[in-house]
Amino acid sequence: MAAENSRATKRAYKISLDTWAVALGLLLAVLVRFGAVKHIPW
Amino acid sequence: MASSAAVLKVDAITIPKKFLALLPGVALLMLVGLGGKVLEQSITRYTKAHHLVVPNIEYVLWAILIGTLISNTVGVANIFKPGVATYEFWLKSGIVLLGARFLLGDVVKLGAVSLTLVVIELGLSIAFMTLLGRVFKLSPKLTGLLAVGSSICGVSAIIAAKGAIDADDEDASFAIAAILALGALALFTFPPIGHWLGMSDHMYGLWAGTGVDNTAEAVAAGAMYSDAAAKIAVLAKTTRNAMIGFVVLGYALYFAAREGRQIAGNKAAFLWQKFPKFVLGFLLISAFASVGVFNKAQIGDLANLSRWAFLLTFAGVGLRINFREMKRQGLRPFLVGALGEVAIAAITLGLVLGASRIVKI
Repeated sequence: MAAENSRATKRAYKISLDTWAVALGLLLAVLVRFGAVKHIPW
Repeated sequence: MASSAAVLKVDAITIPKKFLALLPGVALLMLVGLGGKVLEQSITRYTKAHHLVVPNIEYVLWAILIGTLISNTVGVANIFKPGVATYEFWLKSGIVLLGARFLLGDVVKLGAVSLTLVVIELGLSIAFMTLLGRVFKLSPKLTGLLAVGSSICGVSAIIAAKGAIDADDEDASFAIAAILALGALALFTFPPIGHWLGMSDHMYGLWAGTGVDNTAEAVAAGAMYSDAAAKIAVLAKTTRNAMIGFVVLGYALYFAAREGRQIAGNKAAFLWQKFPKFVLGFLLISAFASVGVFNKAQIGDLANLSRWAFLLTFAGVGLRINFREMKRQGLRPFLVGALGEVAIAAITLGLVLGASRIVKI
């Protein structure tokens, strides 16, 4: 039972690749919006 | 099948255990991508200084070529593999950030055109691939995987469908190898055909987004044409990706009925589970840009961040191309895939050219 609970908890903390991508995108958008990240060259 | 195995494994990342293991591969992606960019700039400088007229080869193609060269000569060492497999993460992050360059109204307008084309393309390509699979006597599940992969969004669709229809690992590997090989071919065929037909950036972007299977290759094929074409290719491809849940659910119901099984659970939950969530991130950033959350300079910064993310993606596309693996998969699935791809490319080209006469693309 304990092992099952631990497995379930572990699974619950797995975040999908899409969610990570959205999180990074939003974080960068916030940083750019508030001027923490600017003048990005290309 | 090392490269496909790496793709299969990267559907979720747990922190912080795996984080350090990613760094060497991400550094390699950056190195290869920067190599492509430096090469493009150096050649442009040289030809300008010497007054030579040569066609400009975009950094996208150089990055892919450098990656392919590494992958097929020295190979990608194990230490780099986890990081190299993150190219899909950079692709999705890049798409989310690209939302800043779209006003929501444009997304709705272009998305509606894309959606109409995508629905027609889905119906025609699934029917054609199923027919080809029967003619070449492939197993129904392999045929289904190839049809899903070529009609929607390549590798992710195949992985989603594999679980849903309970297909073999071997069938999934075949389908993934065929789709990747054909995606690589599309990179070298779509841009010259687009130029030959004199397609506008919008038309070409729509064609690349609806005709090229895998998202990374669709974006790369667009970027090899122009920046504007890449933007439209991303939107069309994202629309196609959003359909993944419906098609996979359709296949799951079909195979369950064939095998006398029932699909457990709620169908709406199934659709939500398969829906590519990064599309929501893209729409959210686009909505922020539309209501004036970012000024012009900030939109430029976000667009450049998106370009850096795509740079890593293109390097990953090259590093994943492995000719030996392609050869090992055998000819039949590849042949079915290739015939299907040519047909889908022709169908989508016809659809885009037809649509351009009806609506302003």
